[in-house]
Amino acid sequence: MNRINWFGFIFISPVLIMVLLFFLTPVVMTAFFSFTNMSTSTGIKGGEYLINQETIKEIKKYNIQKDTIEKLENAGYSINEEGLKIISEKYKESLSNEIKSLYFGDKFSNRKDLERALKKLKKNKIKKTRDRKEIAEIFKESIINERFVSKSIFEENLIKLEINQNDREVIIKESYTGWSWTNNNFKLIYNLPSSYKFAFYTLIYVSFTLTFNVVFGLFLAISTFYLPSKTASTFRTIWFLPRILPPVLYVLMWKWFTWDTGFISQMSTYFGASPKNWMMDSPIHAWTVIVLINGFVGASFGMILFSSAIKAIPSSMLYASEVDGANRWQQIWNIIIPQLRWPIMFTTAYQTLSLLTSFEYILLATNGGPGRSTEVWALAAYHTALQNYAGNLQYGLGATYALVLVIIGIIASLFYLKFFNFKDLVTKPRIEG
Amino acid sequence: MNNYYRSWPITLLLTLISLPLLIMFIFQIIDNFTNPAPGGIWPSSFTLEHWRFLWETPKTGESYIWTVTFNTFIFASTTSIMVTSLSMTSGYVLSRLDIPGRKIFLAGLIMLHAFPTISLIVAIFLTLQIMGLYNTLLGVILVKSALELPFGVWIMKGFYDTVPWEIEMAGIQDGASRFTVWRKLILPQVQPGIAALLIFSFLSGWSEFVLPLVLAPSSDVQVLSTYLSALILDDNKFDFNLFKSVGTFYAIPVIIIYIVFQKKLMNIYGGGTKG
Repeated sequence: MNRINWFGFIFISPVLIMVLLFFLTPVVMTAFFSFTNMSTSTGIKGGEYLINQETIKEIKKYNIQKDTIEKLENAGYSINEEGLKIISEKYKESLSNEIKSLYFGDKFSNRKDLERALKKLKKNKIKKTRDRKEIAEIFKESIINERFVSKSIFEENLIKLEINQNDREVIIKESYTGWSWTNNNFKLIYNLPSSYKFAFYTLIYVSFTLTFNVVFGLFLAISTFYLPSKTASTFRTIWFLPRILPPVLYVLMWKWFTWDTGFISQMSTYFGASPKNWMMDSPIHAWTVIVLINGFVGASFGMILFSSAIKAIPSSMLYASEVDGANRWQQIWNIIIPQLRWPIMFTTAYQTLSLLTSFEYILLATNGGPGRSTEVWALAAYHTALQNYAGNLQYGLGATYALVLVIIGIIASLFYLKFFNFKDLVTKPRIEG
Repeated sequence: MNNYYRSWPITLLLTLISLPLLIMFIFQIIDNFTNPAPGGIWPSSFTLEHWRFLWETPKTGESYIWTVTFNTFIFASTTSIMVTSLSMTSGYVLSRLDIPGRKIFLAGLIMLHAFPTISLIVAIFLTLQIMGLYNTLLGVILVKSALELPFGVWIMKGFYDTVPWEIEMAGIQDGASRFTVWRKLILPQVQPGIAALLIFSFLSGWSEFVLPLVLAPSSDVQVLSTYLSALILDDNKFDFNLFKSVGTFYAIPVIIIYIVFQKKLMNIYGGGTKG
């Protein structure tokens, strides 16, 4: 008994690990990411603490002490390599060298002290007070634009500047560059008019493509059924090719067919029309082409399924109907279609789910254009999180879009589970131990 | 049957409807070897220049077609072997062994089989970044295999289910271990399933576009699908005949496999994965 269990365990564990890591983890992670404000600018691995002009603007909005900003900007003076370099470039190298030999590494808490020190230079005397002031400013140190890797180091530095606790908290919060938890994504999607548009486009896309798939699949299956087998298999091969060809190539062929240098434009010039991009000319054009591109692929799915279901109809039934004088139309309507009820339902259910989430062909064909008129929900998720022209990828918001699809997917697959005859599936194996 | 009906009206109708596809297919091939007359689309002269990408050394920053082809082959074949071998073992366990939690595994399998994997792409992208597998071929291979596994296990379980119990029982009666029974008696029975799954997942990997696009965008791990789509998007090199030739080159293995294994594939596509 134990030996067998170990055997089974070893046999199944690689699959469990793979599915857990790259399938179930992403499901959970989608929910996790959707509650964050992760984006290109926050990164995904937590962040640093950095005060820049942007942060200062934000900090000023809070009720903080008047001198806090000044303290941040002015953190004392220190003679370091960087400042010396500027001196040798701006003034003389000998001046830089002298300051270096006298004060390198020294720190001055205010400008007066440093100016006093600069007065003591022997070889390169700085006569004017204004020049001394200027040189002193070069060595000014500030916490601004300096990166701190951890909160404790950052806070230590703030304490050194004698910033009180209340202000410290504000600064720490505002200067954090990493991601943080938020439920803004959900509010944003709920409030954005564009997300309703995406949902509407998805509805159009799914309903039109699905209707095309099922009706056309039925048509192909029934019509090829009545043909001699050689002709039938030729047509089935033609209609199967879009499914088997790589999507990139298949869509390329459509582009050639519809673009302004392509086939339709060329044909229409014979009728006096000027060539135009039949794919991207208007939203109506784009939608038609997208439904056709997807439909020509999807029809083969129905075709295969329906064809094998029609073949399974006992031929005696068909013969009997002919003897009774039914014509073809009656045969199709009264015998074939009722027998196809289950395959049609299955195809509809299955394709609804996959169309809801698929965006590959739209991405390749129109990429959501013209404008954003063919941007379906799944494509919006992709564009928000993974590729857009603005360059700032909003992982959190994109994950929220994706989460909607993931939840629909989970619900749909639960239904799927219920429809399957699950009891048959779990009949106990007959060899025990 | 139906001898008194003529079939030519249906044939004609189907031909008309299939015309767009037929035109696309025919021009896809013709344009590989010809140049159109200026301003038109009809072929006017024979040429092999559209195939120059095969022997020209690429400019800096561009990928070499043979490296890309090699990547694609590694990606598709590794995925295929991983999916098939893992499905071979776990399909057997789910079909034949009474392991604890079997019901849950089966329910999970059905659910994962139906689950639309592409909706996970955002989270997978971020997960791979955290794991440090972003922009590697290994990362894409692992993800693609994992997403394909529920389907593979499902198919293999179906094949195991059709093997008669008597074979297994006879083996056990003769004192063979469960492993030996599986390897020597059961595996030969499900060979058609193994072959079909190998072919199917190879094709699926060969054609995959979105995963490499998102998970491995850098040029040294480019595959043919992303290579071709980048070529099409490159405004400096707008040349449909070149695109088509690259496309044909890309599709040759697919067509060959399709012609040779047509029957096997038709069966497995019935349970299809694409919309």
